[in-house]
Amino acid sequence: MRRRRSVVGGRHAIVQLLIVGLLAGGALAQKAPEKLRDSVAACLACHDDKQLSVQLRDGATMSLHVDPQGFLHSVHGSQLVCTDCHARYEENHPSGATFPSRRAYAIASYETCKKCHFDTYTRTLESVHYELLKNGLDSAPICTDCHGAHNIQNPHEKRAMVSRSCASCHDGVYLRYAKSVHGKALEEGGNQDVPACADCHTHHQIQAPGTTQFRLGSPQICIRCHGDRQLMAKYGISATVAQTYLSDFHGVTASLAGGGALLPQQVVVTCIDCHGVHDIASPRLMGGEAMKASVAATCAKCHEGASPAFPAAWLSHYEPSLRHAPLVFFVQLFYKVFIPFVVVGLVLQVLLHLYRVSLGR
Amino acid sequence: MRGADVSEYVVRFSVWARVQHAAVIVLFAVLLLTGMPQKWPYVEASRWIIEHLGGIFVVRWLHRAAGVAFSVLLVVHVAVAIGGVLSRRTRPSMLLSVRDFRDAVDFLRYCLGWAEAPPRFGRFDYRQKFEYWGLVFGGFVMALTGFILYFPIAVSRVLPAELIPAAKVMHSYEALLAFLIILVWHLFAVLLSPEAFPIDTSIFTGKIRKERLRHEHALEYEELVGRE
Repeated sequence: MRRRRSVVGGRHAIVQLLIVGLLAGGALAQKAPEKLRDSVAACLACHDDKQLSVQLRDGATMSLHVDPQGFLHSVHGSQLVCTDCHARYEENHPSGATFPSRRAYAIASYETCKKCHFDTYTRTLESVHYELLKNGLDSAPICTDCHGAHNIQNPHEKRAMVSRSCASCHDGVYLRYAKSVHGKALEEGGNQDVPACADCHTHHQIQAPGTTQFRLGSPQICIRCHGDRQLMAKYGISATVAQTYLSDFHGVTASLAGGGALLPQQVVVTCIDCHGVHDIASPRLMGGEAMKASVAATCAKCHEGASPAFPAAWLSHYEPSLRHAPLVFFVQLFYKVFIPFVVVGLVLQVLLHLYRVSLGR
Repeated sequence: MRGADVSEYVVRFSVWARVQHAAVIVLFAVLLLTGMPQKWPYVEASRWIIEHLGGIFVVRWLHRAAGVAFSVLLVVHVAVAIGGVLSRRTRPSMLLSVRDFRDAVDFLRYCLGWAEAPPRFGRFDYRQKFEYWGLVFGGFVMALTGFILYFPIAVSRVLPAELIPAAKVMHSYEALLAFLIILVWHLFAVLLSPEAFPIDTSIFTGKIRKERLRHEHALEYEELVGRE
C-alpha cells in the first residue's frame, strides 16, 4: 500500500515538473525575442527609415517609420508579424495608394484589432465613444488612441499609462483627478490599489457619466473598494462607510430610486454629491474644524437653510455607539430590550389564557 | 345560558368611536404598508411593495399623508375625550386605576389555577385599557418623531440635531412594537380568544350581546341592569 502510494506520488512529481516546465517555457516565450522574425525584418528593411513617409490627400505627411525596439518590446512583439495587422500589404506593396488624412487612415485601420480582440471590440460598440464616432466625430477615440499601435503595453501593468491616455482628451478632468487622493497615490506613489479612470468608468463599454442611471449606480463603484474590509484595513479606512450609507435615508433612496427617470424634486444623494467626483479629497487630512465646515456647506447645498448644527443629524458614517451618537445608541438599546420584554410577556399571557381555557372551567 | 337574553343587545360604542376605529384600521394599514418596506428596504418583499405602490417617492408621500391624518385624528380624539369628560357627557372609563393592575395580577393567578374565578371587569378590562393607552402614548411618539423626520431643518434650528437620527430609530422601533402588540395581543383578543372567536364585531356594529357583557364586563352589566 505504502509503495503504491509512493509510486503515485512519483508520477505526480513528474506531472508537476512538466507543468512547471511548460509554464516556465511559456513565460520565456512571452519575453521579447532576441531578434526580429524574418517577415518582420523584411518589412523593417524599408520601414526602419525615419525619412520614409507618404503624402496624404489633405496635404499632410504621414511618417511610415516603425521603431524595431518599440515593436519588439510591445505585447505583440513576440506573437505577431506586420502582415497580421497590415494584411492588405501582403501583395503589390508599395502600391502608391494614399489616404484622405492621418485620422482617416487610423479609423480605417483600427478595426484590424477585432480579428483577435473581438469581444473587447464589440464592447466598444456600446460605448459613448463609439456613439460619438458613429455620429461623425472623428476625434472620438479608437483602440490605437489609448493603447498605441506598434508599442502596445499590457494595460493591466501600466495603469497610470492608460489613465494618461484618457487625459489626452479629458485633460481638465485628469488634472483634477491627479490632485485627488486617488490620483496622487497612483501618479506619485505608483499605488496599484487606487482607482484609475477605467476602474470607475470601465474600459471599453464606457457609458456617459451624466445620466441618471450612471448616477444611481455610482455608489456600487465606490463600494467595490470601500466595502472591502481587507483593502480598507490596509489604509486604516473604515469599511462601514458603504453599509452606513446604504442604511441611511440617502442610501435607501438611491437604492430604491433606480429605473425610471427622476423628476427635479426627486433628489437622490450618492457618494459623489458629498465627496466630489474626480477631486475626491481625504476627509482625514482636512482637520476637524475644516471638516465640520465642509460637511455643513455640503448639507446646505441641498438642505436649504440648514444651520451649521445640522450635520449632527447625520451620523458621519458611524454606527451609533457610546462614543458616536450616544442618544441614538441608548434609544436603540432601550427598544432592543423593551420590545422582546413586552412581546414575550404578551405571548406568555396569551398562552396562559389558552392553557386555563383548555383546563375547562 | 338563558335563551331570552341571547338576542338582546345593548349599545356599546358610539358612531364616533366606530368611525375612529375604522379610520385607525385604514391609517395603520397604510402606515405599515408604506413604513415597513422603508424599515427593511433591502428585503425582496419590501422592494416588491414599493415598486407596486409606484416607487419610493410615492411611498414616502403616502406615508407622510397618512401620518398627518393619523396625527390629526389623535389630537382630535384627545380633545373630544377631554371635552367630553369636562362637560360631563362621557365618563372617563379608560382612565387607569390601581384596580387595573390588581386585575392583571388576579387574571394571571386565575390562568395559573391559583384563583377559582377571573376578576370581574368594568366597562373596559385592564387589557383594553393598557392597549388604549399604549395606542395613545405610542401614537404621540410616532407623530412627534414623524414630524421631526418630516422637518429636520426646522428641528435642528431649535433643538440638538442628534434628535433627528434618534427620532428615526425611535420611529422605526416604536412602529415595530405597535405592530407586534396589535398582532399578538389585539388580534388575539378580538379574533382568536375563546370569548371572541371567530370575531368580536361590537366595534363595527356598536352593539354587544347582553350575555357577553354580563360575562366579560360584569361590573358594567350590573350597573346597567342592577344586580340579579
